[in-house]
Amino acid sequence: MSYETVRVWSWLLRVYHWALVVSITALAITGWYVNAPWTGTTLEGVASMPVLAMRNVHFAAGYLFTGALLIRIYLFLFGNRFEKLGDLLPVTGRNLRNLFSTALYYLYLSPTKEERMGHNVLAGMSYLLTMLVAVFQLISGFFLLYPESSFWQGLGGAIFSSQQQGRFVHHILMWYFLFFALIHVYLVIWNEIKAPEGLISSIFSGRKFKENEN
Amino acid sequence: MGLVAVTSVFSDAYGEECFTREVVMADSDKGNILDLNLDRRGFIKGCTAVATALGVSDALIPRMVEAASSAQRPPVIWLHFQECTGCTESLLRSSHPDIGRLILEIISLDYHETVMAGSGYQAEKSLHDTLEKYAGQFLCVVEGAIPTKDNGIYCQIAGRTAVDILAEVAPKAAAVIAIGSCSSFGGIQAAAPNPTGAVGVRDLVSGTPVINIPGCPPNPVSFMGTVLHYLTFKRLPPTDNLGRPLFAYGRRNHDQCERRAHFDEGRFAEEFGDHGHLNGYCLYKVGCKGPGTFANCPTARFNDVGVWPVSVGHGCIGCTEPEFWDTMTPFYERLPDVKLPGGLVSDVDGAGKTVLGLTAAAVGLHAAVGAVKRMAQCKCSGNDSEEEV
Ligand code: SF4
Ligand code: SF4
Repeated sequence: MSYETVRVWSWLLRVYHWALVVSITALAITGWYVNAPWTGTTLEGVASMPVLAMRNVHFAAGYLFTGALLIRIYLFLFGNRFEKLGDLLPVTGRNLRNLFSTALYYLYLSPTKEERMGHNVLAGMSYLLTMLVAVFQLISGFFLLYPESSFWQGLGGAIFSSQQQGRFVHHILMWYFLFFALIHVYLVIWNEIKAPEGLISSIFSGRKFKENEN
Repeated sequence: MGLVAVTSVFSDAYGEECFTREVVMADSDKGNILDLNLDRRGFIKGCTAVATALGVSDALIPRMVEAASSAQRPPVIWLHFQECTGCTESLLRSSHPDIGRLILEIISLDYHETVMAGSGYQAEKSLHDTLEKYAGQFLCVVEGAIPTKDNGIYCQIAGRTAVDILAEVAPKAAAVIAIGSCSSFGGIQAAAPNPTGAVGVRDLVSGTPVINIPGCPPNPVSFMGTVLHYLTFKRLPPTDNLGRPLFAYGRRNHDQCERRAHFDEGRFAEEFGDHGHLNGYCLYKVGCKGPGTFANCPTARFNDVGVWPVSVGHGCIGCTEPEFWDTMTPFYERLPDVKLPGGLVSDVDGAGKTVLGLTAAAVGLHAAVGAVKRMAQCKCSGNDSEEEV
């Protein structure tokens, strides 16, 4: 059997992916800490400022997360044909067929699925949902970070009404990202084992393997 | 009914003895003279305290004093709806009388159910006289939430519902000041399940400017600052998107708190009465809501003795925020609980761990099914299994 390589993911998409991985990991750890600091000290006069430091890492990671999100939105609109929104939205007959065939395949009800070099539509939709959640995570984050900015207070206030509600939503959405990461990593490994396309290496190299027809 | 009338109300309502005591406590220059009128020193002191809270230049104090002592004091109609009168109490009964008296000095309280002398027909007449005579000029202060359910029958005065009274008075007022969290956001009456459909003034009044002075009760200085600002500059002070004046609600308690250094340093009271608590460490871990609460408590402080809850060892409970009974409780936890289907209540992290655990179990099951299928396939189809998979 012979394979050809196809360039699927642009360098920008790969940068986005890894920026998201790094930022979400940092955000979850530091965010958890800021919510319930697990270090407690009674030392005085040392000025090591652990809570301040954790918050600063959280904010820096928040900006990285924002950058990643903006890249993805750009790619949804102007990326290559595998990255664009049109390739994932289940509105065309082609995409709907892909959605169902993928779902059956994942449920072990069908031995094959419709081949697709970019995201399958099920994955694409889950990424779209994640980006939507990310937008809310970002707004609630900046709402909490800039209590004296009328822009963020106006926007965040309109959505969450109070800072406490914003914080509550921000905390719940963190759990969404943990949940997403678990499923995402599992399905990537599962696909890597089941299919020869080289899904894991593709997010490093940008290339996937495609079986030749003959 | 002007100030003089109010004076007589006070001696009528509380008796002279009680009043004498107040004057002595006030350490007035005049000693024991029975006089509700604020002396000039007290007057200027009060104005200065309010100017400080407003954050205006001291060059403006003479202008404020002038505005406050002008002969034309704006008439005020004070409406009480679903409330506990705590806001009035805290306003008029401050231990140091300057602020409380200043209020009576600079406004003409034409209708106030707690302190006015008239009752019944007389009271209603006074209300309607003011409405007619000063239409478009008087200030309307609202204390308490307004119940809207079942045609508003859960709060009625003189046979009329609060909704009706507000609808009559508010459009004629120059401005409405909602004092306290109840009239600002509904307060405890509006807490879930909000049985009477209680809402704040801003949900009902449009067309007349409304300013919110939330707090349970609010600091008298915030109220006075708003009134004096209005008298001096002829307009309400700038507000945030919740209608709260920025001079008092522009910063979070957490960002002005004297324990903030302990927070940044990670020194916390883990529970009440422990080493950290006794040493004045940050109250974050025992549920302090300062990080989500816009107020001036750490700077304006209370009771004229320079305290606020955190300074005496109790966290802020976030009383100036909308829906504070629903979102700031449990008071000694960081975040509200989540309500799960089936009436279950859990803390966020407990629920999150359960969901994540169930997902991990589902993932494990999915992987196991895959592995079993694959083994079965290998056995049945022998050599071509690789192609199949
Ligand atoms: S006591 Fe409350 S307001 Fe003060 S620093 Fe700690 S959390 Fe913030
Ligand atoms: S410290 Fe918090 S709970 Fe107390 S009055 Fe101020 S805002 Fe309200």
